Amino acid sequence: MRSNKRWVLIAPVAATALLATGCGAGSDDGGSAGSGTITVYNAQHESLTQAWADAFTKESGIKVVLRNGDDFEMANQIKQEGSASPADVFLTENSPAMTVVENAGLFADVEDATLDQVPPQYQPSTGKWVGIAARSTVFVYNTGKLTEAQLPASLMDLADDSWKGRWGASPAGADFQAIVSAMRELKGAAATQAWLAKMKTNAEPYKGNSAVLKAVNAGQLDGGVIYHYYWAGDQAKTKENSKNTKLHYFGNQDPGAFVSLSGGGVLKSSKHAAQAQQFLKFVTGKAGQQVLQTGTSYEYPVGSGVAANAALKPLSELGAPDIDEAKLNGPEVVDMMTEAGIL
Amino acid sequence: MPATLTPAARPAARPRAGRPGGGRGRSRRAPAGVLLAAVVVAVFSLVPLGYVLAQTVATGWDQAYALLVRPRVGELLRHTLGLVACTVTGSVLLGVSAAWLVERTDLPLRRLWAVLFALPLAVPAFVTSYGWVSLYPSIEGLRGAALITTAAYFPFVYLPVAAVLRRLDPALEESARSLGHSPARVLAGVVLPQLRVAIGGGALLVGLHLLAEYGALQMIRYSTFTTAIMEQYQSTFNGAAATMLAAVLVSLCLLLITVEVLLRGRGRYARLGSGAARPARPVRLERATGPALLASAAVCALAIGVPFVSVARWLAHGGRGLWTAPELLPALLSTLVLGGYAAVLTAAVALPVAWLAVRHRSWGSTVLERCTYLASAMPGIVVALAFVTVAIRYARPVYQSTLLLVTAYALLFLPRAMVSLRAGIEQVPPELDEAAQALGSSPLRLFGRVTLPLLAPALGAGAALVFMAVVTELTATLLLAPTGTRTLATQFWSASSAIDYAGAAPYALLMIVLSMPVSWFLLVQSHRMAGR
Amino acid sequence: MSALTVRGVHSSYGRVEVLRGIDLDIVDGTTTAIVGPSGCGKTTLLRVIAGFERPAPGSVAIGNRQVCGPGVWVPPHRRGIGYVAQDGALFPHLTVAQNIAFGLPRAERRSRARIAELLELVNLDPALAGRRPDQLSGGQQQRVSLARAVAPRPGLVLLDEPFSALDAGLRTSTRAAVAAALAERGVTTLLVTHDQSEALSFADQVAVMRAGLLTQIGPPRQIYEQPVDLDTAAFVGDAVVLAGVLAGSVAECALGSVPVQQPAPRPGSGSVLLRPEQIELSSGPGGADDAGVSGTVTGLDYYGHDAMVRIRLDGPGADVISLRHTGIDAPARGAAVRLRVRGTARWYPAAG
Repeated sequence: MRSNKRWVLIAPVAATALLATGCGAGSDDGGSAGSGTITVYNAQHESLTQAWADAFTKESGIKVVLRNGDDFEMANQIKQEGSASPADVFLTENSPAMTVVENAGLFADVEDATLDQVPPQYQPSTGKWVGIAARSTVFVYNTGKLTEAQLPASLMDLADDSWKGRWGASPAGADFQAIVSAMRELKGAAATQAWLAKMKTNAEPYKGNSAVLKAVNAGQLDGGVIYHYYWAGDQAKTKENSKNTKLHYFGNQDPGAFVSLSGGGVLKSSKHAAQAQQFLKFVTGKAGQQVLQTGTSYEYPVGSGVAANAALKPLSELGAPDIDEAKLNGPEVVDMMTEAGIL
Repeated sequence: MPATLTPAARPAARPRAGRPGGGRGRSRRAPAGVLLAAVVVAVFSLVPLGYVLAQTVATGWDQAYALLVRPRVGELLRHTLGLVACTVTGSVLLGVSAAWLVERTDLPLRRLWAVLFALPLAVPAFVTSYGWVSLYPSIEGLRGAALITTAAYFPFVYLPVAAVLRRLDPALEESARSLGHSPARVLAGVVLPQLRVAIGGGALLVGLHLLAEYGALQMIRYSTFTTAIMEQYQSTFNGAAATMLAAVLVSLCLLLITVEVLLRGRGRYARLGSGAARPARPVRLERATGPALLASAAVCALAIGVPFVSVARWLAHGGRGLWTAPELLPALLSTLVLGGYAAVLTAAVALPVAWLAVRHRSWGSTVLERCTYLASAMPGIVVALAFVTVAIRYARPVYQSTLLLVTAYALLFLPRAMVSLRAGIEQVPPELDEAAQALGSSPLRLFGRVTLPLLAPALGAGAALVFMAVVTELTATLLLAPTGTRTLATQFWSASSAIDYAGAAPYALLMIVLSMPVSWFLLVQSHRMAGR
Repeated sequence: MSALTVRGVHSSYGRVEVLRGIDLDIVDGTTTAIVGPSGCGKTTLLRVIAGFERPAPGSVAIGNRQVCGPGVWVPPHRRGIGYVAQDGALFPHLTVAQNIAFGLPRAERRSRARIAELLELVNLDPALAGRRPDQLSGGQQQRVSLARAVAPRPGLVLLDEPFSALDAGLRTSTRAAVAAALAERGVTTLLVTHDQSEALSFADQVAVMRAGLLTQIGPPRQIYEQPVDLDTAAFVGDAVVLAGVLAGSVAECALGSVPVQQPAPRPGSGSVLLRPEQIELSSGPGGADDAGVSGTVTGLDYYGHDAMVRIRLDGPGADVISLRHTGIDAPARGAAVRLRVRGTARWYPAAG
């Protein structure tokens, strides 16, 4: 059949054409083409890092390619990739993941100029990575379901049987795992394991803090353990996922007042070390931190003396517990959660 | 005692002795090149299984035991098996009823219903879930999950059963009626057994898709092995726990396949004797017409109405700004390119294996063919995990490359191309090859002049099926895509994970639009295979 | 000049030996038919000649060119043989014209004149050139298949039971058209069939095959009138076989004294072969001094144009023989009849 023959001839030609364009559209070489590009393994929120990347590119002309994922997923990925990792910079939402990579010896020393921009309590003493933002643990609750008097005084209270089926969190996420690692530091392994066991029966698991917020707002839950900026961000937009909710800060150095540090580091394996360091310096510098102040992420800035967004409760008033970030053990928490049957 | 001998055969209609299905039945030695290619493909297909086994061994018996025998795994097992049981049952009931209504009754607007019942194939399951969650945010649990997955997957049973019903020889049923069986008994005793293979195959597909389903179930927070593996992956990359869960998942898949093979049995339901099969007379519904129409409309509303309405609502809500998102066009282009790349590669790779399986049938070729089905029976996440590990350890240059991703796609969707190709090759009897050779065409030339043109429709069908699968593939893409490559599915997922349902809507619409022509194509194919 | 020479061809399928040593010669321009029951290996022999199977061992020469033998193997696409398969094997994706032109060199493929000429050769309407194979009847497909095979002017054409898939009515007309076409072109033909009447009417030379061996090769008349053994005799036509005792050139059997073709070297017992057309049937018991023997009709199968009559012979053995008789005047059951032998019978001595 003539038309069949034509089809058979056209198909491979078309496929080849597709392939040719494909080599352009998808970056096979992972962004390491050309000296003016760095690859960032980004576990932070994509919108925030994209804002940083765009501002940085505008200022320096260096292109930034993001690979997005989750804290521990990417930390373990970097560990597995080892010295041949294509990553130049690693940004996380919480510090335990940074510790994992640091303990594997994969970070290069951060430039002094960058370290100087960030107060000492927001960076590890080793100088292998630096804090780039912070977020506070909060208990978001549905105002129609809970009065202020009924709020839990401590995060540990949620293990109580009276809270069965009434609260939720996102246990698979690194955010919540960081909070649990803080609890482990403050209250010890045994108490934390017991709390986790009760969490298994009491709490509803959700995928992502946004989902928790939405569920609380909808009345499916009385309350949820999330980070503050999810609420703040929604409040600033349409309020559709938070209009029935309010935030409760535990304070009193409770584990529930844990302030988690987002970290940034340069990989030893980076082939564009100079540009990577430049990026990290930008993020912790005034311009970069102001993205946190004026942008839509609503996380707390930590560097260059930039104040937080006006809508947020200041960091100093949160009553956060004092924790050595280096002691936060992410993998141990994952094991504990696995043992409790949550993961 | 008869002392007369008469000649052995009077000229009479003589069946073709020793030539079942047109082939000589002798499996001559296969050409070396084809054999080599098939072996390479089969070896690749075993990589995911090998990875799971190797990791299990590396984990050590004690830890493996501890990771496997814990309450969480029991919970996941209950959830997964419960869902599989509910959805497979529901899909079979729904699919067979729908097929029966469309093919064997006088339901009004049958042609329309035939298309509508196949349409859920164009809507990825996670978009169906997204549609439901948008309308009923509190949908959850086994009931919610079963509802969504049954609505999304019943066409897998509907299509093959409808195709078989169309081809069924009514003479069998009429003979049964003439022997005094009631219509119900005829249905149960004559029709249903002939549908066994189609139902079994469709149920297997539903089960395998369920085991691999991530997005749809994650969205309503129904935890199964695949969602748990993904969570473990996010926490530990590819730690031991993830692998153990993967091992259980793979075992469940293999179990499903075995059950299907056993149930399929050895019964032959082909038409014996000569003469053409007439189409069956449709059953008159009369008073049942109203309820049947209502039921059909309800099924369509649940399966395609809900997602379509949700997508439309979100698009309206989000307005024009949604379409100017900077990631939209690159995602679309990447999806098209990856899909095209994968379609071509998979069809090319399936050809030697299918060729061997049909033309040079032997236990070896059967083994090779079964190997290729193994990888596809595994969820995308397990294949991706295997590839990531193998690439990091042994094949750095292809790590995070398009080539690796497309190879994973090819492995995952190989059987889709194989099924089409096998059917196509069976339509090209070796007699044609011989005739062409006798006429002077060398084997290579005859491949181009005779075989390839005749295989073109099957190749096209296989490639189209692979393309559609790639458009809606989520988990393997999430793990294997090169940095900076986004597809419609991954963009949809990141938007809906951030509860940005409006932002996810344009991607959902694009995925549906891209899948529609292929669903249409599948429908036409199944019509054609039935000879109408 | 021999168009085809086959020597010592053996072929096995697994442990079963299908061809056990075939020797065959075909003269240029003639038609040969290989006839035998199903499973005797005739199709295998054809495939060996065509090159689709390799004999182990054996040699095949086409014309004066060896195409198969020790150290020689010419692949099928270089043998210059035409092959018509049992079901035609027309290419479904090509039109009739394209099918026929398939084996022609590029330059000639578009030649409408050639195609028309070939269609006429097989007695088909040239208007069919644009049709597709599935739009043709079985007989038309076979003819197109023949035209296609003959188009490149091969030195030898092989036909593999080409008419067995056709309905009875089509068979005769197609056979006639094919025979005429081949005769007109003077193409050397080898036909394989299980239908003995087809073989006898179609071919210049008939070879009878049984269990992988050619038992007899010769002109049709010779095969029919002088079959080499009883099985061959039974295969190529109706046979009446009676036990008998030979003395000189006359055999004594249930039909009386029958002269035999070959005077035997020594007398003895054996079998007498007669063709039914040699036995004359007349009604009425006749008198004792009339020639022939008497018998009674025990059964009659009436086919319209002819009838199968079963007769029990009077006499010590009470043998029953079956004869064909024309439909007109077929005797009724129970009638007394008289049988007389015309011509000579063939004698087969008993074994040992």
